[in-house]
Amino acid sequence: MLTEFLDFLGSLHPLIVHLPIGIVLLTIAIDVFMRNKNNSVHRVITLGWFFAFFSGLLAALFGWFLGDNGYYFESQIKIHKWGGIALVGICFILWALRYLNFRFTRTLNRFLNTTAIILLAITGHMGGEMTHGQNYLIENLPFVEKEKTILISEAKRSTVDSLYVYEDLIQPILEEKCMACHNQKLAYGGLNMSAFESMVKGGNSGTGIKKGNPYQSLIFKRVSFPQDHPKFMPPAGVPLSYEQIATLEWWIDNGAKKQIPLTLARKDPKIMRLMEVQHGLDLKEKSYLETLSLNPPAVSHLNALNPEKYLWRFLNPEESFLDLKFTAKNIQKNDLVELLKVKDNITWLNLSDCMLKDDQLEILSEFQNLTRLKIQKNRLITDRGLEVLKELENLNHLNLYGTRVSDKAFETLGQIKSLKKLFLWNTRVTQKGIDAFKTLHPDVAVISGQ
Amino acid sequence: MHCNDHHHENKNYSRRDFLSKTSLGLGALSLGSLISPVDAYGNSEFLNLLESKKMKLPHFVPKAKRVIYLFQSGAPSQLDLFDYKPKLNEMFGKEVPKSIIGDQRLTGMSSGQNSFPMAGSLFKFRQHGQSGAWMSELMPHTSKIVDELCFIKSMYTDAINHDPAITMIQTGSELPGRPSIGSWLSYGLGTDNKNLPEFVVLVTKGKNGQPLYSRLWGNGFLPSQHQGVQFRSGKDAVLYLDNPPGVTSGIREEQLKSLKKLQSIQHADIGDPEILTKISNYEMAYRMQTSVPEVMDVSDEPEYIFDLYGDDSRNPGTFAANCLLARKLAEKDVKFIQLYHRGWDQHGNLPKDIKKQAKETDQATAALIQDLKQRGLLEDTLVIWGGEFGRTNYSQGMLKPDNYGRDHHPRCFTIFMAGAGVKKGITIGATDEFGYNIAERPVHIHDFQATLMHLLGIDHEKLTFKFQGRRYRLTDVHGNIVKEVLA
Repeated sequence: MLTEFLDFLGSLHPLIVHLPIGIVLLTIAIDVFMRNKNNSVHRVITLGWFFAFFSGLLAALFGWFLGDNGYYFESQIKIHKWGGIALVGICFILWALRYLNFRFTRTLNRFLNTTAIILLAITGHMGGEMTHGQNYLIENLPFVEKEKTILISEAKRSTVDSLYVYEDLIQPILEEKCMACHNQKLAYGGLNMSAFESMVKGGNSGTGIKKGNPYQSLIFKRVSFPQDHPKFMPPAGVPLSYEQIATLEWWIDNGAKKQIPLTLARKDPKIMRLMEVQHGLDLKEKSYLETLSLNPPAVSHLNALNPEKYLWRFLNPEESFLDLKFTAKNIQKNDLVELLKVKDNITWLNLSDCMLKDDQLEILSEFQNLTRLKIQKNRLITDRGLEVLKELENLNHLNLYGTRVSDKAFETLGQIKSLKKLFLWNTRVTQKGIDAFKTLHPDVAVISGQ
Repeated sequence: MHCNDHHHENKNYSRRDFLSKTSLGLGALSLGSLISPVDAYGNSEFLNLLESKKMKLPHFVPKAKRVIYLFQSGAPSQLDLFDYKPKLNEMFGKEVPKSIIGDQRLTGMSSGQNSFPMAGSLFKFRQHGQSGAWMSELMPHTSKIVDELCFIKSMYTDAINHDPAITMIQTGSELPGRPSIGSWLSYGLGTDNKNLPEFVVLVTKGKNGQPLYSRLWGNGFLPSQHQGVQFRSGKDAVLYLDNPPGVTSGIREEQLKSLKKLQSIQHADIGDPEILTKISNYEMAYRMQTSVPEVMDVSDEPEYIFDLYGDDSRNPGTFAANCLLARKLAEKDVKFIQLYHRGWDQHGNLPKDIKKQAKETDQATAALIQDLKQRGLLEDTLVIWGGEFGRTNYSQGMLKPDNYGRDHHPRCFTIFMAGAGVKKGITIGATDEFGYNIAERPVHIHDFQATLMHLLGIDHEKLTFKFQGRRYRLTDVHGNIVKEVLA
């Protein structure tokens, strides 16, 4: 009963604390600005310090109760507490001296006034930081840039594939919101979050993280309580944002392991959207071309290509990706050697219907940036010729229709890891071969026209 | 690529350029050259700045390299083909609720009717494929490939009558005179086959219905080499292409060489860019003398391909035969292949007429998509099937249990697409349960055009042409990409 009453008084601290602030300032103002002081003025000042002392004493007392109920911890309130007590003391001294008609020298008076103002400023500011958060003072100034919690650095942002949910998203949240109390040294409630294992284990009240089940994970439960719930966490400061809570939930849902890559979010459009809005992370899967940056080919090399044989155009405004087609009817080895000068720039290559032969394909292994290769309608192409294509590490479209490849080719084709689409209509490939290939490589779309 | 290069040639003036620059007197002309930044700064950085602003196309890596647009002229009834509305069958013969039409304008052909009885489709609908797309029994072949298709059921347009509506969907404006989509693409992206035009048009022969004008595939104010070229069925695919009797190919080549010399002198003299266009047209025509007969020759197509496209495909000039040609043209990298099939304008007697229309188009459409797919061409070819607007949910004229007609309806219609960069087996947008207004995700003609351009690697806001003092684009000042369509 008593502690609850004291808690109630403690909750009045923010209300009453503004009284002494006003009174101290007003008293000093009267002292400073009313130069010709008659007796009544002196009595007003004396009375002022009394009220300042009395209301200050109440505020300090209530503050003590508030600080005692456990919501704050000592390191946070230390300066505020002792600053407040010192201020009350100075008010008492000023009142007592004046009451006893002590003859102040000008300097001493000035010194005491100044000390009171400084103490007031420090104590008030520290109190403000506690209730309104750090930076409350200037964060809304129009020319002060709002501090954004940039959790993920620009460098990491560009390589989304290397981000981990725990390391890059969860841990920074916990560090900011929880670890001031739940660390190795303090470990409030027996919970130490500074180490992954002890965080998962939890504290005195139960399991911290129950893998796969956010609603049985105390850490998730506490941060997602209504804010007026007595067990809501964190007890002071800014609560976790919606995005942070959602990320935490999603992470626990998906097993709460340390090594979950952020790319897992691709399966969850809501989380993907959150990552985009909150962190500017573009998680959409990028094709090889989207990540590739090349220098444009030399103009002289392009001009050297015989327009009767080759037709090319750029695929991007940077003019570095080439889409090239061989347009003559009968290709010679030299025609491919010609292309070696721009081999890095050729991303799409069309050599269809031009009497291409197996041994000519060898040259293509040099074209490392090739993503689409069309060699359809070349009756001379067989399984043997394809073998070199496994060296093309970025090939994802391969058109072989109307060639003489057979089921044997699947062995080679299976080794092209980047392959996404395979066109095999009108070849010697059998349905059985396709089915076998598909069981091994379900990601590759095989279009056979059957 | 070759864009509007002649606009960067400062020294050459066409007649139009000359008149526009001298309209304030010759003084203005000399002032023009005095303050022209290029002249003022000569070869300095300023020129580089201008250079860097030159169009670089494509604006991003394209998904599609070419388009086959199967245009169904006359506006096919979405309610009898794709947009299943059981409510209309339930309320067959009842008046369209006032709240549905509101104060919307109706065409003059049916606005005078005393009654607007709702006409549920007489054709059975069923869901098909894994995507569960609704299709009527009129299109059995297309129903089999719905998982390749992307339906937009919430298309709408501004125009209420055929010509402005077709002009709108082809050129982005109801008024004639703007370049057609194919011309814009030819102008923006250039050629992928120097022996054939970038923009080829095939019209089904012997069909009646709303007239088609060649301006629908016209270049408008773009240089005339970008106009669509119509390939006809029969002996002369392109009119006046063959040499006259007695003129051999050698003689013709000599002739053209001399002509080019003369024209080059003329161009050096007066600098009209249209002379260059003329030269390139002559050269194209000469190359087409061999390339066109080659591409139009289907004699080496195997029987099973004809079987795939249907019996009609053996009969030149039919929609099916044109679909087969479209595939051949796509194989040859023609950029924009536009088919027109007329006869969908069924104001009366719809159930009987639409059957015939569907039969003419269904199998070949499905065959074309399948054939492109097995050849790997669907990867970079966008196929579009659709008309210029939709048809009403109420009957025009007397509604009988087995007969009705439908009037023009610009407020909603269905098109479908397949191929490069487009999601498969998906339906975007929806109409209300009466099939009258759009309930979900409206897609305007300009949005459709913007999306089409996007698939080809073009930012529709950046492909412009300056004409009569302002820059024009296909989508004018409108158009938002329909992101839901993109794969």
